[in-house]
Amino acid sequence: MESKYGIPTVGVHLNVFAPLVRNTVRSSGMPSARQVFVPTPLMNTPPPILREYVEGNDPVHGRPFMEEVFDQLTRPIPSDELRGEDWDRETPRYIEASSEEEMHELFRERWYTDFLPIILPTEERVERMLTGTSHAPDEMVGKTRPTIGMEFWHYDVEKVAINAVMAGCSPEHLPVLLAIGQGGDTGRQSSMSSMGNMVVVNGPIRHKIGMNSGIGALGPYNYANAVLGRAFGIMSQNLQGGSVPGVTYNGSQGCNFSYNCITFAENEEASPWQPYHVEHGFDSDESAVTVSYIWGNVWTEYLREYWQEKLVAIFCALEPGFGCTLVLDPIVAREFVEKGFDTKESIAEWIHENARIPRRRYWDHVALNLIHQVVDAGIEPFAGYWAAGPEEPIPMFETNRINIVVTGGETNGHFSIFQGSPMRMSFRGTREVGPTVSVDAWR
Amino acid sequence: MAKFRVLNPEGYPPKVSATGMAPGLDTLDGKKVFLVDVGFANSDNFIAQLHGWFEDHRPTIRTEIVRWGDQHQPNPELCERIRADGDAAIIGVGT
Repeated sequence: MESKYGIPTVGVHLNVFAPLVRNTVRSSGMPSARQVFVPTPLMNTPPPILREYVEGNDPVHGRPFMEEVFDQLTRPIPSDELRGEDWDRETPRYIEASSEEEMHELFRERWYTDFLPIILPTEERVERMLTGTSHAPDEMVGKTRPTIGMEFWHYDVEKVAINAVMAGCSPEHLPVLLAIGQGGDTGRQSSMSSMGNMVVVNGPIRHKIGMNSGIGALGPYNYANAVLGRAFGIMSQNLQGGSVPGVTYNGSQGCNFSYNCITFAENEEASPWQPYHVEHGFDSDESAVTVSYIWGNVWTEYLREYWQEKLVAIFCALEPGFGCTLVLDPIVAREFVEKGFDTKESIAEWIHENARIPRRRYWDHVALNLIHQVVDAGIEPFAGYWAAGPEEPIPMFETNRINIVVTGGETNGHFSIFQGSPMRMSFRGTREVGPTVSVDAWR
Repeated sequence: MAKFRVLNPEGYPPKVSATGMAPGLDTLDGKKVFLVDVGFANSDNFIAQLHGWFEDHRPTIRTEIVRWGDQHQPNPELCERIRADGDAAIIGVGT
């Protein structure tokens, strides 16, 4: 509003985000942007306390909040501040240190790692990594960022290879990481909600690189599963311009899933249904990778006598705005088939029809604030959900936000229901591909 | 001293271009200030309290509450309206 419309505008922020705000206004070319701050938290804070925020001090500037508002809007601004600031940052191709030990320390100091031991990306190691693809090192792969509203950073093939080395990958893993990079998703999303990720690999590449889709597929029992997930996280934090708490990462509690981004292969051979990537437009002999955003999971077992009641209770305890992903052991997948669910779509339709909560509770979720604009735009079914009476049952999830993947080694009929799904296109780094992306294109 | 050299794992940052600010006002008295609710949880209640403060303490400053809509997208219609009908804006509560 300031630059394009000439409206003096002061932004109100929570004090906990002061470093993030300083970083963001500088990267927007307006380092002197008018900013004021109120205490944290805002969410769930009752109006009388909010009035105290208005009448109290700005905790960052240390002055009465309203005095700061008036000062920001009426103070004379020097001409250089009015103009804004051109700014460029150098990221030199090489980093030097006096020893290998010092380099490891430097990488930790600069937040380049996940604080587990890494392999330093020497030129020789990166050159070897680059043998995993036919693409040129300087070919641009994509762009990503910590969260919506922040600046995009770009990266080429070599940058992805450097991070792959750090995570312990082999050259044969590189095409999967390049496909993830092309999709523009981040494994270090800065949302206050502390989301993690899930990475599902489909197609012949699973066998070529020896991924695990059997016993322990979601655990630390396979080289490819382990390093691919770790590499996605490390490359995200470095390629997007950082994942530093308080600045470029603001997940309140953080997410332990972020160490490996829940990376595994679908057990296509044991699944009674189409593979996940085939559902999303790929042929079964193609290889593809899908990145989801995940907030947690509920474990359960078998479809026992009261399975419908139990599943409805689980789904209805989730957050409706995030979607859900069922990760089923093949035993459970076959149980669904025995109960008449011939396709994954039929399960999604059952969940959509049966997992419902009253309208009053449906809209009492923070995440749904993020999609309120679709109500304002009159887009169905959400406009109808908003207009519904308070007790009217509303589906927890639309069918396109319900995902089903089969993996596991059939030692028992266990499964997990994860909160989350692939990111809506409007939130992603690119609309040109994904969320399921070809791996073959990066060989 | 021998140097140990590796490749930099960071991506390529965008070049930042200067973004101009609007000049400040001489005073807010007699002016109209739009109070913009960005739509994050409970920001509507905060903006309502801000509105109440202006009514109680600075009634000569006219205020109007408006909602941004999709906080992740530009809202040119609203900005045009504020430019046409207002003198300044307070927008919040954001991160």
